[in-house]
Amino acid sequence: MPPSLPKEGRGPSVPSHPTETPDAAGPRRREACWTEEVLPTRLTAIRESERKVLARLAALGYGEDHCFAVRLAFEEALINAMKHGNRMDPSRQVRLAYRISPDRVELRVADEGAGFRPECVPDPTVDENLQRPCGRGVMLMRSYMDEVIYSANGTEVRMVKYRASPVRGFPKSGRRC
Amino acid sequence: MVKDNIIHVTDRNGVTVARICAEAILNETQVQAFGQALLALADVPGRRVILNFLGLQHLTSLALGGLIRLHKRLAESGGELCLADIDPRIYELFSITRLDRLFRIFDREEEAVAALLAEGRAGA
Repeated sequence: MPPSLPKEGRGPSVPSHPTETPDAAGPRRREACWTEEVLPTRLTAIRESERKVLARLAALGYGEDHCFAVRLAFEEALINAMKHGNRMDPSRQVRLAYRISPDRVELRVADEGAGFRPECVPDPTVDENLQRPCGRGVMLMRSYMDEVIYSANGTEVRMVKYRASPVRGFPKSGRRC
Repeated sequence: MVKDNIIHVTDRNGVTVARICAEAILNETQVQAFGQALLALADVPGRRVILNFLGLQHLTSLALGGLIRLHKRLAESGGELCLADIDPRIYELFSITRLDRLFRIFDREEEAVAALLAEGRAGA
């Protein structure tokens, strides 16, 4: 089973060991290892981690559309964590974990902020919000990833992109706030 | 003609064409430079600006916010912002966020220039 998200609490719960997951067909198969990183709250710090994620995707033969989707969600999650979660406070950190397998990409991002309720983010697509310069990151993450799950207090997000799923940047039914 | 790190600005018969000189707008320096360069375009009241996205392969919601700020500044002064030559994947971001309703988007820069020049003549 993948590491579960925390029910409460400020701290991230990124996994610390490779895990094994029962295969749907029965026998256990070994999953890719989680890679963990602790980033300073600085937007420039995103680039090096992103480069490594994209290199793993390329090595596994993921197509351009999947790379675009993962890159976008990766950036939006980290920007949200630094800007809105940690409020660009350099004394706070962001914990990142990713696991890239031939069939899926899993990302986890946790900040040290006060948390938020994703369902309370105003819909940026309605007329009265269209000219607001902020508030589109969560929507884009939900649009491009197959699963976007926030912890109860909103300080950690787990996202999954399956290789078999078509890449269409429009929200999947039932996954919108 | 003005050239800086992130956009390249030219004048075409009174229409300002700003070409983005980056494959992606992500890091702090790029986002700040992009935002400052965009707001500088709004320094001239009533300016009509075409922002050419040719070559831009990636941007984030931060950059979208910068475009919205520029759109508002220009509109307040009687100007206009048009977008052109947008990669299909980038265009999808505008569709998803419904910003394709806010911005006037052309397939090609030439079409945008022709449209604005024609409107300028009609309004003269």
